[in-house]
Amino acid sequence: MLRVGIVGSGVMGTTHAFAWAKTPAQVVGIYSKDVDRAKENASKLGARFFDSLDPLLDACDVIDVCVPTHLHHEIVVQAARAGKHVICEKPLARTYAQGLEMVEACHKAGVKLLVAHVVRFFPEYAAAKNAVQRGDVGQVAVVRLTRCSFQPRVINDNWFVDFAKSGGMVLDLMIHDFDYARWVAGDVETVFARSVRGVDPSASEDYGVAILRHTNGALSNVEGGWAYPPPMFRTGFEIAGDAGLIENPPDSAVPLGVYLKQVGQSDIPDVGIPGSPLAEDPYTTEIKHFYSVLTEGVEPRVTAEDGLAALRIALAALQSAQTGRVVRVQEVN
Amino acid sequence: MVRLGIMSFAHLHAESYLALLKSMQDVEVVGIADDNQQRGEHFAAQFDVRYFTSYEALLDEGVDGVLVCSENTKHTPLVCMAAERGVHVLCEKPLATTLDDAERMVRVCRENQSRLMVAFPMRFSTPALEVKKLVDSGRLGRIYGVNSTNQGALPEFHQAENLTFLNRNWFVDAALSGGGAMTDHIVHLADLLRWYFGAEVQEVYAASNTILHHKRVNVETGGLVMLTFSNGAFASIDCSWSKPAYYPTWGGLKLELVTEGGLTTMDAFKQYFTTYSHSVARPLWNVWGSDANQGMLTEFVSSIEENRAPIVTGEDGLRAVEIVLAAYRSASRREPERVGGG
Repeated sequence: MLRVGIVGSGVMGTTHAFAWAKTPAQVVGIYSKDVDRAKENASKLGARFFDSLDPLLDACDVIDVCVPTHLHHEIVVQAARAGKHVICEKPLARTYAQGLEMVEACHKAGVKLLVAHVVRFFPEYAAAKNAVQRGDVGQVAVVRLTRCSFQPRVINDNWFVDFAKSGGMVLDLMIHDFDYARWVAGDVETVFARSVRGVDPSASEDYGVAILRHTNGALSNVEGGWAYPPPMFRTGFEIAGDAGLIENPPDSAVPLGVYLKQVGQSDIPDVGIPGSPLAEDPYTTEIKHFYSVLTEGVEPRVTAEDGLAALRIALAALQSAQTGRVVRVQEVN
Repeated sequence: MVRLGIMSFAHLHAESYLALLKSMQDVEVVGIADDNQQRGEHFAAQFDVRYFTSYEALLDEGVDGVLVCSENTKHTPLVCMAAERGVHVLCEKPLATTLDDAERMVRVCRENQSRLMVAFPMRFSTPALEVKKLVDSGRLGRIYGVNSTNQGALPEFHQAENLTFLNRNWFVDAALSGGGAMTDHIVHLADLLRWYFGAEVQEVYAASNTILHHKRVNVETGGLVMLTFSNGAFASIDCSWSKPAYYPTWGGLKLELVTEGGLTTMDAFKQYFTTYSHSVARPLWNVWGSDANQGMLTEFVSSIEENRAPIVTGEDGLRAVEIVLAAYRSASRREPERVGGG
């Protein structure tokens, strides 16, 4: 029986915890600063609440880290040293140095580090990757990726809006598509990015576009934003190759239209999460995959190195948006 | 009655312009001239207009204005020839492929009181005009950025195989076109956004590649461009020839404007229905929206009738050329470039 310890009880901590419940693994404990929410999640899952990390590490085989980005490093390194496998929310870390240390610590300890780049588990993204891999579009030439939502609300000490903790929209949101761009078109050489907060850190919202040059000559246009009216969240992709084209524009795969005369108090979440009606939500697909990796030796769909590479591209984009220069990904440290 | 002629049918837009001109009540089509005689006679017969074997002969017939639809690198002599006779000119885009040419055309037209308009039909696209109204209304607030596409099929596909005498493969021949996708598909959006914002492009970053159609052509076929405007807004343009030959239409022009006020999206060719037919192997999009070319030609004719400058000028064409040239410099140096060498 794989014993799982969850750190965090925010949106992702809660989502992951209940996704683990759909695997044969046992969530044994939850450690979180949000005691009420953690206790609530723990009681629903038959798990214990922990008020510190060490006892939770002692009780589990794998630790699932769903805390604010700037805290990933400390917890992951500690877990690795305790010999526990690690699931870590994206972005892997707040800085490249932290990310590198985390990867090295896990490698040294001989534990797995799986980074939760959940977009790789969204069915449309996974299917498009498969299509590219089997040659449907030939050699990839131009990739377009879009992911825009609204500014996370400033309530309950929302760390997303604190640049020092989250790295802002570029690091928290655009990283999904930096990872995906790299997954379908290969390693990235340079990044040129423009963003609202790159030139005006005090701006109340953020919106940005990055142009990536991949090592193999492919190009990617990555758009991200926390600037839409809530609760709007749009994602989309397009992959053009020398033998074909895949199009999945925003708004193209909306199977449901609900237009009610009676408008209720709209339930806008603090942070936007994209979704489509599916038999299994992508977070559960992701966690089930991680379970297979940990228990059956399945090759991980996303490795620690992938997480580190995506982080490096995102940091390059941040740097480019701030300096106005082209940034070489290999020079980000 | 405004007397008009068309100089060269190298560009395939010439026939759609001619069809529209023939339907305009205040326009008299004097005739067309083309240095490719077979092509000229072909279209003269098709549209029942006079064919002139030389451009001079067309101008000697007495015209108020001409449309110049030659290959991109051959605009300058035709535009200047017309201008020197005081004839007003509507020149196909891009105005030129070098700064010298663009500046010369603007100068020669000005010196001869010939008004130069550049064919930027998107300024007359009815969906695009709605965005202009929204921007001007102030309701959008501060402009954050733009994500836009003007993608198309490889222009080689423009030419039917049984009409090779039309010689329309020049779009992929840099000596005649000036370049590939970046030459073809940056200017429409660059011009539209300059107009929307009432601002100039200060800096251009561009990345291009030659992966698409690499077995058929030598020019760049993929391109991503980032413009930075004097009002602080940035705009990404995808100018790639990334639509396959079997796509339901030639391509399209779309933009998404993200602003303080929210999101505005515009798809200039979205007013279509789809046809699935036994007679073709693929679905086809039949556009039923208003023809932007009609608005553009009406403006050209009105500007002649009313003896005023057209709302799209040679200077607008020149600015667009500067942006494209900066994009090429940027793509080659792999650094952002100031526009106009500044």
